[in-house]
Order: sequence, then structure tokens, then C-alpha cells
Amino acid sequence: MMDCKNIREIFDLYVDGELSPEAIVQAEAHLAECDSCRRAVDRLNRLRQAVKARVGHYQPTAQLVARVRKSTITSWLRPTIWTFAAAAILLVAATIFFTPHVRSVVANGLEFVAFHVDDSRATVMEGKLLCRDCLLKEEYGYHAMCPTRGHHGSLQTRDGKIWHILDGEASEELIHNSKLLGRTVRIHGRCFRRASSIEVDSYEVL
Amino acid sequence: MARQLAGAEAADDLVQETFLRAWKYFETFDSATHCRAWLFRILRNVWIGRWRKSRLELPVTETGEEQIEPYYDWEDEFLRAEMSADVERALSELPADYRLAILLADVEEFTYEEIAHVMECPIGTVMSRLNRGRKMLARLIRTSGDAKASNLQPDEFVRRTP
Repeated sequence: MMDCKNIREIFDLYVDGELSPEAIVQAEAHLAECDSCRRAVDRLNRLRQAVKARVGHYQPTAQLVARVRKSTITSWLRPTIWTFAAAAILLVAATIFFTPHVRSVVANGLEFVAFHVDDSRATVMEGKLLCRDCLLKEEYGYHAMCPTRGHHGSLQTRDGKIWHILDGEASEELIHNSKLLGRTVRIHGRCFRRASSIEVDSYEVL
Repeated sequence: MARQLAGAEAADDLVQETFLRAWKYFETFDSATHCRAWLFRILRNVWIGRWRKSRLELPVTETGEEQIEPYYDWEDEFLRAEMSADVERALSELPADYRLAILLADVEEFTYEEIAHVMECPIGTVMSRLNRGRKMLARLIRTSGDAKASNLQPDEFVRRTP
């Protein structure tokens, strides 16, 4: 049986519901008989209730909720956005690299840009006609479509540089007539250095 | 809780920092732990961290000192409704560890084990902090109630004087 001294040492545990079932039985047996301890427990409970009533649960303002949401969600998203961006770049790069058609479209696009920012000047160039796609296949493993779409003539000058022949009426034969491949030609036209391209006015097979 | 610990002005920052850290260190969350207890532990750590940054505001913790408090033998009427305003002030005057233990037990209704987790201390320490804290709290409320009562007397006197 608990005495007043024993029970007062465990008042907090009793009101906080931390006592074992056996200890609760013993404590309540004492409280049922001791008016002084019962009042002390009652006061302690009132103190606890006063704290709870006074402090209570504060409802966060909408502003605080927004702040927390913003800081957590954005910090969580930040790396994800970069991950997505990096993934997108890799995907585009891979697509360009592995899709011949897309690759040539991009190449043509870059060429278009280069062509438009380039200075052109009248020139006469002499060189050997070679298939651009076959060269790329040999050099870089490019998936050349020559068997289905035919060869694509380009001019290789003596310095080894390959010049892209721009499409046009005068260049039609040079680009698409496979019989001319391997032949030396002299082209009169305009040269776009940065685009490594030549616009053909006329040509002669040497 | 944050308002009680850090005051109304700094409470929002404390809460924001707590959630931010919880996000950041979510992998440290042990699913065997109560999620609320885990969050409160972070809150406590953020709060302590802030103290360290601004030591001037560091509240004095007297948990090491032995405070001899009477048992719960205060007068029956001392917790009257009009005195409940003093509860908040008395809480703010408590040593930080006592205040936190009381708030976790009475307001958040955590078990002693959870409080021990939040406060990173043994359960025995939780028990003694609660016991001492509550006795001290009652004394502080009673003191401020008495002071108020003695301050009221001259006013009452003046008012009643024709």
C-alpha cells in the first residue's frame, strides 16, 4: 500500500498516464482514502489544463503555411528542375547523335545559321568531287542513306578541306550525279568560309 | 510550441527552418519514431542552434540546480480564470528545459519516451524536469498573482474614494 510520501513522488507519472496498470491500482487505492493527496492531484491536473488552455494549439497563418510550402517545395524541386534540364539536354543530344535524319536536319540548321552570319565572296575553287555522306560514314560512322537517297556530292580542295555545295540549279548535277564523283572540277561562284559552303554559278569538269 | 519557445515574432522563422531541415534530412527519419516527435526534435535543435548564434539571447537554464519546491500544496483558488493570463508569463520565466518538457507533455501530449527522444535525454531526466518544472511554474503563477493583487489595492482604494 502506498503512503503519502510514495504517491507524491509519482504524481506526475500518474497524471501523465505513465504508470503501469498495477501502480495505477495502488495509487487509486490510496487516493480513494486520502483527501489531501486527492486534492493535490486535482491541483496538478488543473495546472496542466491551465497550461494547455493558455498555450493551446496555435493555428498557423496562411502566410506561414505559404512560406513553409514555398521553402520546402522549391528546395525539393530545385535539384529536380536541374535534373530534368540535364536529362532533356542529354536526350536531345542522344537523339541528334543517334538519329541520322535529325542529325542532318540539325547540321543543316547550323549550316543555315553559319551561312547567314557569313561573309561571302566571289571565288573559283578547284577540287575533287566526293560523296559527303560516304566520307562522314567512313570518318564518323555516320548512318549514310546513300543506297536509298543517292550520293551527295561535295568538293574536296587540295588542302583536304571538304566544301559543302549549296543546292541550286547550277549545282544540281554536282550534288546528285554520282557519275561525277571522283572527278576534278573547277567551280565559279561564291564561297562562305564559316559555313564551309560554296554557291555554284557555273562549273567545269576537268 | 514555436511561439512559446522563440516568441511570436521569431516563431514563424523557427517553424520554416524546422520544416526545411525536415525536408533536407528526411532520410534520417526512422519510421519507428513518431513523426511528430521527430519534427519536434528538429524544432528543438533549430531553436538551440539559434541560441548559439545569438548568445546574448541565451536563456538561463537552471536544470542543474536543485530547486526545493513544495509538493502540490498550493491554494485551491490560485488557478482562477483571471490568473490564467499569468500562466503564459510564468511559463516564459521557466528555465528552458523545464518549459519545453512541460509544453511537450501538457500541450503536445507526448509520452515520456517521446519527450526523451525530442529532448535527447534519459526518461529519468524528463521526469525530474516535469516535476521540478511544474512546481516552479505553480510558484511563479502564484507569485505573479500575489503581486497583481497587491498592485490592485491602491487602484481599488482610489476608485472607491469619493
